[in-house]
This record gives sequence, C-alpha cells and structure tokens, in this order.
Amino acid sequence: MIPLTRRAALTLGVAATMALSACSSATNGGSSSSGGGEVVIAGTYPVDSIDPGGPQGGGTGPQMVEQQLFSRLVRTKTDGSVEGDLATSWKSDATAKTWTFTLRKGVKFSDGKELKAADVADSFKRFIDLKGTNAANFPDYTMTAPSDDTVVLTASKPDAAIPRKLAVFFVLPSGVGANDTAFFDKPVGTGPFKLDKFSPNEIVLVPNPQYYGGAPKVTKVTIKKMPELAARLTALRTGEADVVWGIPDDQLPEVQKDSTLNVQIVQSSAVYTMWFNSSTPALKDAAVRRALWEAVDFPTIIKKLYPQTGSLSDSVVSKQTLGYVAQTPVKYDPVAAKAALTAAGFDFGTKLRLQFANAEFQQFNQAVVSDLQKIGVQVDLLQKEQAVFTKDLLALNWDINFQQLSNPMLDAANTVGRLYPCAAKRNGYCNPALDKLISQAAASTDEQERVKLYGEAEKIIWDDAVGMFPMAVKYAYAWNKRLSGFTPDPNGLPDFSKLQVNS
Amino acid sequence: MATLAVTRPLAVRRVGTWLGKIPYAVLAIYALVAAIGPLVIDYNPISTSLDDRLLKPGSHLSTGGTAWLGTDGLGRDVLAQVVYGARTSILIGIATVVVSCVVGVTIGTVAGYFRGWLDTFLARGIDILLAFPAILLTIVIAGAFERSVPVVVIALAATAWISFARVTRSVSLSLRERAWVDAARVLGVRRTSILLRHVVPFTIGPVVALATLEFALVVLAEAGLSFLGIGLPPSAVSWGQTIANGKQYLDSAWWISALPGIALSLLIVNIGILGDQLTARYGRGHLN
Amino acid sequence: MIRVVVKRLLIGVLVMWGAASLIFLIVRVAPGDPVSILLGPDATQDQVKELSASLGLQRPLAVQYVDYLGHAVRLDFGDSYRLGHPAMSEVLERLPATAELMLASTLIAVVLGLTLGLLAGGRPGSVVDRVVSAAAIALQSFPTFWIGIMLILVFALALRLLPSSGSGTPQHLILPAITMALPFTAIVARLTRTSVAETLREPYIQTAKSKGLTDRQVLLGHALRNSLLPVVTIVGLHMGGLMGGAVIVENVFSWPGLGSLVVDSVTNRDYEVVQAATFVIAGIVMLFNLAADLVYSQLDPRIRLEGS
Repeated sequence: MIPLTRRAALTLGVAATMALSACSSATNGGSSSSGGGEVVIAGTYPVDSIDPGGPQGGGTGPQMVEQQLFSRLVRTKTDGSVEGDLATSWKSDATAKTWTFTLRKGVKFSDGKELKAADVADSFKRFIDLKGTNAANFPDYTMTAPSDDTVVLTASKPDAAIPRKLAVFFVLPSGVGANDTAFFDKPVGTGPFKLDKFSPNEIVLVPNPQYYGGAPKVTKVTIKKMPELAARLTALRTGEADVVWGIPDDQLPEVQKDSTLNVQIVQSSAVYTMWFNSSTPALKDAAVRRALWEAVDFPTIIKKLYPQTGSLSDSVVSKQTLGYVAQTPVKYDPVAAKAALTAAGFDFGTKLRLQFANAEFQQFNQAVVSDLQKIGVQVDLLQKEQAVFTKDLLALNWDINFQQLSNPMLDAANTVGRLYPCAAKRNGYCNPALDKLISQAAASTDEQERVKLYGEAEKIIWDDAVGMFPMAVKYAYAWNKRLSGFTPDPNGLPDFSKLQVNS
Repeated sequence: MATLAVTRPLAVRRVGTWLGKIPYAVLAIYALVAAIGPLVIDYNPISTSLDDRLLKPGSHLSTGGTAWLGTDGLGRDVLAQVVYGARTSILIGIATVVVSCVVGVTIGTVAGYFRGWLDTFLARGIDILLAFPAILLTIVIAGAFERSVPVVVIALAATAWISFARVTRSVSLSLRERAWVDAARVLGVRRTSILLRHVVPFTIGPVVALATLEFALVVLAEAGLSFLGIGLPPSAVSWGQTIANGKQYLDSAWWISALPGIALSLLIVNIGILGDQLTARYGRGHLN
Repeated sequence: MIRVVVKRLLIGVLVMWGAASLIFLIVRVAPGDPVSILLGPDATQDQVKELSASLGLQRPLAVQYVDYLGHAVRLDFGDSYRLGHPAMSEVLERLPATAELMLASTLIAVVLGLTLGLLAGGRPGSVVDRVVSAAAIALQSFPTFWIGIMLILVFALALRLLPSSGSGTPQHLILPAITMALPFTAIVARLTRTSVAETLREPYIQTAKSKGLTDRQVLLGHALRNSLLPVVTIVGLHMGGLMGGAVIVENVFSWPGLGSLVVDSVTNRDYEVVQAATFVIAGIVMLFNLAADLVYSQLDPRIRLEGS
C-alpha cells in the first residue's frame, strides 16, 4: 500500500516538472519554420482528397492541390483567357460538337513514363464515370484517342464553351481505378509538383523534375490546414506561413500595415447572387422583385462591410467572364420601392425567407434584411447548414436565396447558360425568350456573337430582377516579401510552380 | 463544463448571513433585467446600423445615444444584447429545467417505487446516456435538426432529466419502505395517489436544489451550443452567439466577446453558490 | 474479482449497443441528407437516385439498422462519404490529438489541483483556503469557450506569447490544455481540500503531531496519500466530462481532434463518422469509468466492488 502511494507521489512530482518545463520552453515563442527554398501555404479550405474525379475532387481546396500535381488539357489564365497546358492547340467542327486537341510533345509523368493520348482519354472516361461534381458539365460527352498525340471530345449537343469547361479536367495515367487509394497515396502526374506527404493537416509537395515546363525552383511547398482566420493571420505575421488569402476587410488594414508582407487584392469571378423565388406568389411580379432590389442600400452596405474587397456589380457575371455585358445600375430608392410595392399590391404581412449557408455572409445578409425591414418588408433570415441549404435550394424551399456564385470556367455558359433556362428550375423563373438566347449562345462558335447573345440574356435576367446581383467579389492575398513569383488567382487557385524564395 | 455538481458541499455555510444573501440579490437583478430590461432598452436584432460598427464602450452613436458597452460588427448595441441575452438564457434555462424535471421526477418516482424490470430498464437506459459526454449528445441532437428554440430545449433536456430521475428514484426507493406508505398501501389507496400524495412531496427539497444546479449547467450548455453555431437561430439574441460573433474581432474589438462572457459567468457563479446552499440545506437524496 | 470485471464488461457491451442504436436513430430522423451535399446543387434526379442506392440509403430502416450493427461489431462504420475512406480510420487518426490534449489537461489539473487542495485544506478557514475555494467556484462556473477566448486575447493577441490556434508544436498545446484543465483543476482542488481537512481532524494525526511530526510531514505523508484515492477516482469518472470539454475547446482552438471532427461531421451529415466517433468516445468513457471503479477497489480494501 505504502510503496504504491510513494510511487504515485513520485510520478506526480515528475509530471509536475515535465509540465513546468513544457511551459518554460514554450514561452520562447514560435521560431520561423520555413527556411531555404521552403514555402508554407495557409490553406483556407479543407483538402480531404486529391482524387480529381472523386466526390470532393471539384472543391476549391482539393482543386488547388490537384492542379499542382496533375496537368490539364487547357487552363484559364488570371485574366480570363484560355491557354494550353497539355494541349498545344485545339479546334472544333462547325457545329461546336466535336473538338480536337493536339497534345504537347515529349511530356513525361513524374515516374518517367511518356504521356500518351490514351492516358487523356482514359482519364476523361474515369472523370465522367465517377460522376463527381464537375462531371455534370459534360453530360454524355465522350473522348477518343485517334492517334498518340490527339484526342477528340464529342459533345452531346453544341457546346462552344468546351475549352473553358475543360479547365476542371485533370489528366492521370491510364489504369487508375475508381477508389484507388494506393494510387493517390503516391500519385503520378504531369504537374509541376510531386506529392511528398498527405495528411488531413498538412500536404507537402516537392518539385517534379519531369515537369515539361521545368521543375519549380522551391524545394518544398507545405500546405497547412488552418480553417481559423485568426490562426492564418497570426501564422502569416509570425512567419509560420508565407501565403494567406481570403482576408476579410475588417482584418485587412492590420495586414496591410505589416511591412514584411505584400498585399494584393484581385477581382474574382464571384458575384453575390440573391435569387428571388419567382414561383412564390408574393414574388411572381417582376415589379415587386425590382422594388425589393431598389429598397436595399447596397452601395452603403458594400462601402461599410467590404470597403476593399467588394464593389457594386453591374452584371450577372463578373467582368473577366466571357459573356459579361454591363447593365444599368439599380438605384437605391426606398420611397419609390415602397410605392411600387404598394402599387403592385404586395402583401406586407408576408414573411419572406432568406436563406444562406455560410457564417461569413451573415453580416451582409443581416444588413439586407435590416434595409428591407425599413420599408416594412419582413424577412426571416435563415442560416442553414450546407446539407440542408442545398436540399432546400433545389426544392425551391426559400423566397430569397443568397449565394456567392463563382465561375472558375470564366464563361457565362457556366452561370447564365446553366442556371437560368426554364428547364434548370433553379429559381422559379421561366422565360422562353431567355431560353432561346441561351441555346443560341451555347451553339455559336463565334466569341463576339456569344458575348452579344449572353449580354441580351443578362439584360432580361437583370431587368426582370430574377435575382439581385449586388456585389462583385475581390480576394485579398497577402504573402511574405521573401517570396517572388507569386501571382494571386481570381478563383482562389494560385499556381505555386513559379514561386521562388529570395535569400 | 458538465461537472459543476460533482463536489459541492463546502465552506459556503460558514459565510456570514449577509454574504449568503448576495446570490439572491444578484439573481434578483438578473431576473429583473431579463423581465424589465427589454421594456426599457429597445433592441431589434434585425436592424443594423453600419455607421456605428465596432465602437468602443462609451462611444456616441450616430443616432445620438451612447453605447455603454460598445457595438458589434453590425453596429448593434452590446449592452442591449447582454440584456436580451439574459432573457433568452433564463427562459431557455427555465423551460429545459421544467421539462427535464417533469420527465425525470416522473420516471424516477415510478421506477423507484415499482422497482422490478422497469427500474432495471431505466438504470440501463441511464447507463447508456451517461456513456456520452452530455454536451456531445446535445450537439448531435441540436446539430442534426434545424435551428430553433424547441430543438435546443429538447437537446438540452435529453441529458438533463437524468439527474432528476436518479435523485427521485433514490428518494422514492427509501420512501416505499416507510410505515405511512405501507399503511396507505394496506388501506387500498390507489397507486397514483400514493405516488402523488406520499412520495412526490418528499422529493421536492432535493429536486429544487438540483434544479438550481441544473439550471446553471443548462445555461452554460446553451451558450456553448450557440457558440458552436448549432444552437438558436440567428434571430434569437444569445450570449453564446454574441461571444462567437466577437471572436473574429478579438484583436480590435475585445468587448464584443468579453462583456457578455462576464455577464454569463457572473450568473453561473451565483447560481452555483445558491445551489450549494440549497444542497446543504435540503440534501440531494440518499444515493447519488 | 474477475467475475465482477466480466459482469461489468457485459454491461458495458449492452451500453455500447444502446449508444450505437441511439445515435443511429437520431442521425436517421434528422433532416438533410448526404446525397445532396455530395452531388451539389447541379445533380439530376437520376444521379440522386443512383447515389442513394449505392450508399444504401433507400433500404428499409430496419435493414439498414441490422446491417449497421453487424458492421459496428467489427468496428466498421462504413466509409465517410465526405473523406472517401473508412470512418473509423478517420476517427482513429484524430484520436491521438484529443488524447494528447486530455492527457496534458489531466496532468495540469491533478498537479495544480492537488497543490491548491493541499494548501487550502492544510489550513481550513485561512485566507489561502478562502481564495482557493472562491477561485474553485469561479473556475467551475466560467464557460470553457469563453475562458479559451480570453486566454487567446491575453496570451496570443496582447502578449503575443503563444499561438492562438492550430496544432503541431508544444506551444500550440498550452492554451487549449489549460482551458480544458481549469474547471477540472477546480474539481480536484475541492476534492483534495475536503479530504485533507478531514484527515487532519483524525485523532491519529493529532498523535503524530504530538510526537513531533512537522506540518509538512503530516501533509505530504498522510493527507496527500489519503486524498489520492478520491482524486484517482475522479480522474477516471471525469473522462466523460473532459471529452465533452474537448468538443468545445477543440473548436475554439481549431485543434484537429475528435471533438472538432464530431462537430464538422454533424453539421455535414456525415453519418458514418458521427457514428464511429460517438461509438469510440462512448467506449473510452466506459472503459475509464470501469478502470476508476477497479482502481478504487484496489486502493481501498474497505470497498468491495459490487455487481450493480
């Protein structure tokens, strides 16, 4: 009995010393971790998988890593234009249904094997078969490899947007299975980097010496998972992380004051999109929808909440998107709005349900609700979990729906063309004239013509107030000055291959 | 968080008589603020004032008033949120304690009095529920359903009734052997009347003491849920939500998180002391 | 002894069955389903049907339940639809981080709690005693998430001594461990104080003192030893409370453990992970409770374990 207690007391003593020493060593503070050619990226979004075809593969987090490991046929540049990646040139037939891509010569996978057209065609088949989120852009499309350096993509209907759409298609070697964890533990790709380590908290990339564009100069890129904004910013300031983005306006001035950091704010493809449910009796009338838009003081809200990263949007899609045409701004006029609502017989007793999914948009939506309340329109603000939000979104179980709509393909086909036809049934709005413009635009191979047609479609959507399109979103990037070669990306998908560490 | 009730009886009894009254006074103030505050201070969580964002405590508002405790990220008064949050916390606390008290006392009395398979069943059921940390079960329930007040109350009551059941069970277990209960049984008094007239009244003392402690736990748990963003809907004003909202402004506007937390802690400390006093006076039944 | 352990374990199995069933029920009754998250807003009706079928969500609930239990016995809770690999492996991957946090905070709580309890109990009624007792009440009453935020405010933002959140280095462990330890410290301190004060009133202590034992010797030799028993027991019994604390603390500090996994999975309707995680947590809590009982009976010969 007694010896046991003695031992216990001894253990306690040792433990106390340990705890104390742990405390004292900790006060020395965080030493900067990344020396030499190593770069640490503070990841905003979780990267749970790097399978580009898998269910999570299309998310922003996974895609950011996938594009470092696997090349694509084509990719979009930061200005919105398309450039060849594995493909050097591409052309379509007159109907925009059959597209031929010529592959770059001499491209090798990271294991030294040469890239063949069959790899591309097999990857496409896998991508379509796995039905990940991005595969939905290619309904019943097929790809064949008639020779070693050409692939042919055949669409089920005319589709002039194919090159841009393919920016989400990544090429793997032939023979990767559906749930091939063995492959993705040690993936083989044609991208600038190779995977060194993958864990939920940390992803380590090392240069791929076989990369056709030349191996990156940095020796190591570590992507650390830091879901908390405060953690990312602290890490940036202590030098624990080199690159952070998605910095909100309230925290931005503090970061801008720091002389060791570069800060750049870039226009993204995202537009705050607040659809009205046109199938709700109260919102059937376009005059009512327009009046509600007029009743919200978006210029002030944006100025106060997003002084640096927001600007009033003047179209359904962002400026760098193919198909963007500016529309007439909607002026804030609560008196006129109230009069218009009364004239249209709007029932001020109805409560409109405004749904959104992400805590970061709470303040914006609350400000909108506050403005609507000022003219007597009652709105229930409903923040929903992603699962419930998505389900209700599809079921049209809402009156106003808030989304930050990004368009990584930078083509109006992906927003106007996909979300606004009657058949899409996304917001209760149906207009045959709009449908006609959209299908004409999709079938046209002439870019000028497409821009014109999408512009007309946007005018209908804008003037009929299918939704409110208040704000164009910018992303704020901050990176340590010791880095060079970093280019902020409008879709939150920066390229790490040009990074260099200055000594 | 869920351990407030583990080791209570302490030196509190020795504290002077007027000191012992402090918890009553503080709780009375909270009750008063919760009841009358909303009538005096006008606050609408929906209406925002973007010109008054993130003002320091004591700043002047664009509307002419003064923000004694500062404003939050949408220019809403923090003092008003503390006052309205008190009402939310107290109402949810009372609702949950009442629900779990009714459920717990009913189940506990019946199980303790009738024993047999019912009692065994109850004991095992409680074992199962106790295998989860209380807050975990609450999170799973509250997180799985759409955010609303009833869901929060049910999620909190799902574990809170257990202590009531255990206490009343042990009280009624000992009571059923008492002479007057036996007498009533022999005289042919109906079982429900025996339970209601001869058993339940004796559980009141320990149940009141327990209810006080449970109230504190429930208020804490509700704030925790709201903090995690899976509690009340955003239209309800809650301390947990205000604290969570302020988390992103710790660097620049500490008052948003700090002040409601102080209000919450002060309430819990005083309920805890009161609970101690009541426990010391009425005990908590024989088994624990 | 062995019979008692076996009986306890059998009850434990029953408890685990109940726990698994309860979570299955809650999760299935809840609105929102993984299919719509998986496929995103652009899914066609056919895709939805196909995926629900492949996830087995269209079978009758009873069939799903039996299937679920059959696999649960083998600790197989299926694949997390979100992460693509087995739910249990995700849980086990997160477990060490939570274990680390719990171990660190238990250490802090026991060391600090015993010390404070000894100081307070050694001189009942003294200033030290009053301060410790008051502090204990306060520490148990403060909401953990708020304490965490205040510690971040002071140590990470104002003094810039420690990282505000995340994990990886020993520095990252300090704030979350302290946050989790504080209420537990209060419990240990109160328990120790009571036990020490009681020991000091024992006649044999008076005898020992009159024989010339110093206060220090009495405290460390007798009082501390007597208070170890209840402290060991409370450590075992409090594991559930500590786990609960971890759920909140991990969220405050973005600690990549089981607690934050549970919250993430619940809000994303990741059924498989919620089930696996709660099952593991319930199992751990049960084992610790059992261990506390056994240790208690081993340390104190007066107590004999009984079956119920």
